[in-house]
Amino acid sequence: MTPQSRRVLEVVLDNLVWFMLLAVLAIFSATIPNYFQPGIFANIIEQSTVLGVMSIGLALVIIAGHMDLSVESVAALSAMAASMVFASSGIGMGVELTPGWLVVPASLALSLAVGAAVGLLNGYLVVKIKMNAFIVTLSSFIWVRGLVVALSGGRSAQNLADELRWLAIQRFLGLPLTAYIAIACFVGFSFMMAKTRYGRHLLMIGGNEAAAFRAGIKVDKVLMIAFLLSGMVAALAGWLLAIRTSGATANLGTGMLFNAFAAVVIGGISLKGGVGALPGVYAGVLLLSAINTAINLMGLPAHFTQVIHGLLVLAAVLLDTLKQSIRKKLA
Amino acid sequence: MSEPLLVLDNITKSYGAVQALRGVSFSIGKGEVIALLGDNGAGKSTLVKIISGGLDASSGSMRFEGKPFAPKSPSEAKAAGIETVYQDLSLCTNVDVVANFFMGRELTRSFLGIKVLDEPRMEEQVAKAMATAGTRIPSLRSKVEHLSGGQRQAIELNRFVHWGGKLVLLDEPFAALGVEQTKRGLEMIRQVAAQGIGVVIITHIMQQAFQVADRMVVIRQGVVAGDVPTKQTNADAVIGMITGETLTGTGPVGGVTEGSGAQERNE
Repeated sequence: MTPQSRRVLEVVLDNLVWFMLLAVLAIFSATIPNYFQPGIFANIIEQSTVLGVMSIGLALVIIAGHMDLSVESVAALSAMAASMVFASSGIGMGVELTPGWLVVPASLALSLAVGAAVGLLNGYLVVKIKMNAFIVTLSSFIWVRGLVVALSGGRSAQNLADELRWLAIQRFLGLPLTAYIAIACFVGFSFMMAKTRYGRHLLMIGGNEAAAFRAGIKVDKVLMIAFLLSGMVAALAGWLLAIRTSGATANLGTGMLFNAFAAVVIGGISLKGGVGALPGVYAGVLLLSAINTAINLMGLPAHFTQVIHGLLVLAAVLLDTLKQSIRKKLA
Repeated sequence: MSEPLLVLDNITKSYGAVQALRGVSFSIGKGEVIALLGDNGAGKSTLVKIISGGLDASSGSMRFEGKPFAPKSPSEAKAAGIETVYQDLSLCTNVDVVANFFMGRELTRSFLGIKVLDEPRMEEQVAKAMATAGTRIPSLRSKVEHLSGGQRQAIELNRFVHWGGKLVLLDEPFAALGVEQTKRGLEMIRQVAAQGIGVVIITHIMQQAFQVADRMVVIRQGVVAGDVPTKQTNADAVIGMITGETLTGTGPVGGVTEGSGAQERNE
């Protein structure tokens, strides 16, 4: 193989998900009536908000060669915590602040603090106690969701303040402000991964932890921060979810973990660590939303979504394996 | 010979009742390439670990650049300028040459108050370092996973030299390389040594040792069984020292002397 064709193939492999997204959008636009219109595309981006943000945290940890299964439950707990304090009906305590807009930073801070606490605990157990990340975060996935149910007693909190709802209702260029928050997160974290020392170190730890350690990189600290970030970003996703649904239920966000997982893997993040970039993850999230929208438009029963998502995860992991073997042949 | 860089004086290492090293003494000069030879279990690896801070010696002492040297950890040895280069343990193959070169020491510049990686400046410095060392790598932006074993070794050695390394320990550096790559690797070691860096290379392949080393140090049963300039010996004599066909423990224990006893008996 010539160096040129190799380079082309590599670009294709690195950005496979964008090609897939374009192909899927083209096929749906051509075959499904009413698919091709700005409103639908805006809807796809809007639907990607919460899942997109959650996927960022998961992606960071997977790039570093670890795993964080707790993101879904952390999002639910942060949404529940914010709703219990600031929502006015159900189990909400309806705390009001003056001036009213203070509820935005206050609820965000509460949510992020919840996410940071779980993230730090995960990080501590994985990095310092050297427990397996899969097991530690699986346990968090279970007990954090348990905490959500226990705190709420299975009931819900509704009616968040208008100042919070405003973020989900106010539109700019056809998209709610929350969607811009998600896009800003992708831009910010992509910048961090590509341009800062921290991002570079995270990538190198995912590639070869021993080498990074021997080169003097503070591996423990970098990984701790990755778990912390993952928890806080998941909490931000929960906060956005609470705003969108104007409150929280005990089973809020159930099943999102696997969608996030699918988005990350479809987005080109390798499960072995050290491979992939965040823009691809956003494309992965958009791809999932595009498929969901197509299912809705075709009027298929919603349960089919789950079947298709399951198959997509499988396809994504298969694709990852395939890409690895192609890369090995390239090397 | 050049002035000693590292002097080992009567180093011993015991594991319980087992004595892995029973008093090893030799020295390494600046810009000198030493081949450390010996059969399996002779104590080479133990010795290398003691020099690079991975193990503590039971007794004996080392002097590095004239000062007492007793590293407690590999990072301490590294800070002093001594490092073991293991092929698979020192590079991140998922990032490019420049990123590997600056691993943990990335240059940054300020962009809107945020420190961002200064890629052009890093690439420039890597290109300069590679050019000085006479190493050619097609693109400094290719990921290391796409480079050959020889090129990877070149990156490791150049990185070591660039960051002020003074003594490098290479454990079977050519085990995974082909003929052509090995030849280039040997040339590279000579280039590294020419810059005043001490090189200790552990190898089983006698031919390589003769091609690259200034001096052969043979370890047998935990002592120096021979310490001879390459020019004054031959493969048969060295093999004799490794297997112990010559008298045991007759090497110059307790200091380096030119033209050792083992050498004279073999001629």
